Amino acid sequence: MAARRSPDELVVALTGQPNCGKSTLFNAVAGFRVDTGNFAGTTVSYAETALRFEGRDIRLIDLPGIYSISSFDPAERVARDFLLSGEVDVVVNVVDASILSRSLELTLQLIEMKIPMVLCLNMMDEAQHKGVLIDLERLATLAGVPARSTVAVLGTGIDAVFAAATKMSRTAYQPRDPCYDRDVEDCIAGILARYPEALRQALPVPERFVTLRLLEMDQEFERRASQVDAEFVRSVQQDRRRLATLHGWPESGVLASHRHALVLDLYEQVATHHRGAIAGMREKIDRIITNPVGGLLTVVLSLLLTFSLAFFLGDLVAKLVDQPFAALRTAIQALPPSLAVALLSGLVEGVVAGAGIVLPYLVPLLLLLAVYEDAGLLPRIAFMVDGLLHRVGLHGKSVVPLSLGFGCNVPAIMATRNLENPRDRLITMLVIPFVTCSARSVVILALAGKYLGGMTAAALYLFGLGVAMAVSFAVSRSKQHKALGLIMEVPPLRRPYPTIVMKKVWLRLREFIVVAWPVILVSSVLLSAASYVGIDRPVNAALSPLTTTVLRLPEVTGIALFLGVFRKELALVMLATALGTTEFDLVLSQSQILVLVIFTMLYIPCIATLAALFKEGGLKTCFTSAALNFGVAVLLAGAVAQVARFFA
Amino acid sequence: MTLLDLSEDEVVEIRSLPADANMARRMSSLGLFAGRRIRFVKAAPFAGPLLVEDQATGARLMIARAMAGEVEVTRGRTPKP
Ligand SMILES: Nc1nc2c(ncn2[C@@H]2O[C@H](COP(=O)(O)OP(=O)(O)O)[C@@H](O)[C@H]2O)c(=O)[nH]1
Repeated sequence: MAARRSPDELVVALTGQPNCGKSTLFNAVAGFRVDTGNFAGTTVSYAETALRFEGRDIRLIDLPGIYSISSFDPAERVARDFLLSGEVDVVVNVVDASILSRSLELTLQLIEMKIPMVLCLNMMDEAQHKGVLIDLERLATLAGVPARSTVAVLGTGIDAVFAAATKMSRTAYQPRDPCYDRDVEDCIAGILARYPEALRQALPVPERFVTLRLLEMDQEFERRASQVDAEFVRSVQQDRRRLATLHGWPESGVLASHRHALVLDLYEQVATHHRGAIAGMREKIDRIITNPVGGLLTVVLSLLLTFSLAFFLGDLVAKLVDQPFAALRTAIQALPPSLAVALLSGLVEGVVAGAGIVLPYLVPLLLLLAVYEDAGLLPRIAFMVDGLLHRVGLHGKSVVPLSLGFGCNVPAIMATRNLENPRDRLITMLVIPFVTCSARSVVILALAGKYLGGMTAAALYLFGLGVAMAVSFAVSRSKQHKALGLIMEVPPLRRPYPTIVMKKVWLRLREFIVVAWPVILVSSVLLSAASYVGIDRPVNAALSPLTTTVLRLPEVTGIALFLGVFRKELALVMLATALGTTEFDLVLSQSQILVLVIFTMLYIPCIATLAALFKEGGLKTCFTSAALNFGVAVLLAGAVAQVARFFA
Repeated sequence: MTLLDLSEDEVVEIRSLPADANMARRMSSLGLFAGRRIRFVKAAPFAGPLLVEDQATGARLMIARAMAGEVEVTRGRTPKP
């Protein structure tokens, strides 16, 4: 995370439950300058941006969506620790006003942290549609924090939120502590009276907050406090058990039950209901989509639409993109060969490769996905296919990253951020490189499509999908899991807003441009230089055991496979150079072509994907992924090669 | 009776959450806790999750079967504790 630029820069953190519209609000003010990253040592990600509001520098941080501030979910732990770190000046608690009575649960917990806070009631339009009328002033008075209303998709009310945030200060902030039942409050008072000084020193967090966490059976806080004063923690545990028996609640739910009551009471004081007009139409569409037949039809149709758009339209655009560069290429080739020319041609190839993936394949895919996502279609698709994905160890939420993978693995890896569970995220990250991205589709089409027939190409595509599922199955079996079981919100169907959709597309596209493209450019240039210097001979010799013995291919394919690590479709170009012809069937048998395609599809994530894996999952994930892909590729392609021997 | 025993569109009241404290906490922070009324909307195909609707907010949630089987519900209203 970037450091404060100046002493009076205000650090504002956005917190809220998932789907409250937090990132929409963030994107609305962030413009195009967004940095994303992971919290140190975790796979929990955040986004941040710097902005100026009424002459004040603000650093805005979008924390992961959390339902509560308990410790069992890594995202919740990380978000909470960050809020308590003292780095945050103001918390903006974004709340979905249309489900206010539930959202306020988190709000009360945040208030207990005693960090200056502004309550931002988003989705006011939805609330209105539902017929819920909220008395903002009353809510602000009762909760003791300023409250503002917004409609993030339209950008309304956001300025007022920041105006309120800049007026907050630590010294003047006096929120009203939520007041629990008499016996709970008595218990809290008793604990506070004997609160150890050492704990106060060791945990620079409001004492009442720590007490409440302990009463709530928060394992993390129990651990931390026990290290300082185990006796004290034991005494709190006794109090907790006493309260639990007194009220007949489970021990872990004592405070939660009281908080539910508090929230309900607060909600009833600030909200009034009218008859909502919304239900009818939406309910009807929803019924069709979540009905087995209608639902599966929706899934199949939307997938079909996505792929046909990406591939048929994409192919057209790809040719258009390629044309202006073709002339440039010929011009460069006409120059007398020298290192400079080699470098230049590498640069051009890198640019072409990037543009050739981005415009035709990635943009349509990102566009449709963003529309599906904002319309609320994706959670419904997740609902429909969750049962199936479960059998191979994935779950509904992996749908987005996996479908993105068909365009390019890099943004797909980035999109695994929406998986809150680290195990699910890791499995999805390891499966993505097996998803046939557009660059590999090019190889399939050009080799298998041309020499083995369209049916074989399609079969190979399905084969790729099967391998991905099998890998997922195997990896998930090997990863122990303490299943919490899936429970996920299904937001209502909504109308997507074009500007919001475009922003989402841009932010994901940016990840490709910032992470993948530079890697492609640099490796293209290096490659060009290397082949100018002549590295093919030693590389071919080194890879010979693999290429000739295991895969039974000509030795000269070594260099092509080696270079394919940098960019999959480059393997194709290099193959032509290495074999000295583009008519591959003159020098390769059909089974050799098949082996080559299978191997190229699987053998290693391209270098840009490896970079993304490293960024998101760390070195270990990156190596695991490379090893896994290589192992599977050698196994499968090698098996095909050896079997083909008997038929030759 | 658990969430798994309901027919579509049935409205019930939650009596108790799974014994696992973390699971219970996650559910309750999503608005599912004892005393709350929910509607069973439908079950997903391929032994997939269940879709339920929180009657207080209208919010919809999908819940894995294993989890749903541990949520005790009742058709009648229980007196407020
Ligand atoms: N009607 C309406 N929709 C909104 C509003 N704010 C966000 N949304 C939509 O709600 C969905 C979830 O928003 P998102 O920002 O992704 O939620 P997050 O999970 O909190 O980051 C998206 O489809 C948004 O377009 C709002 O004020 N009104």
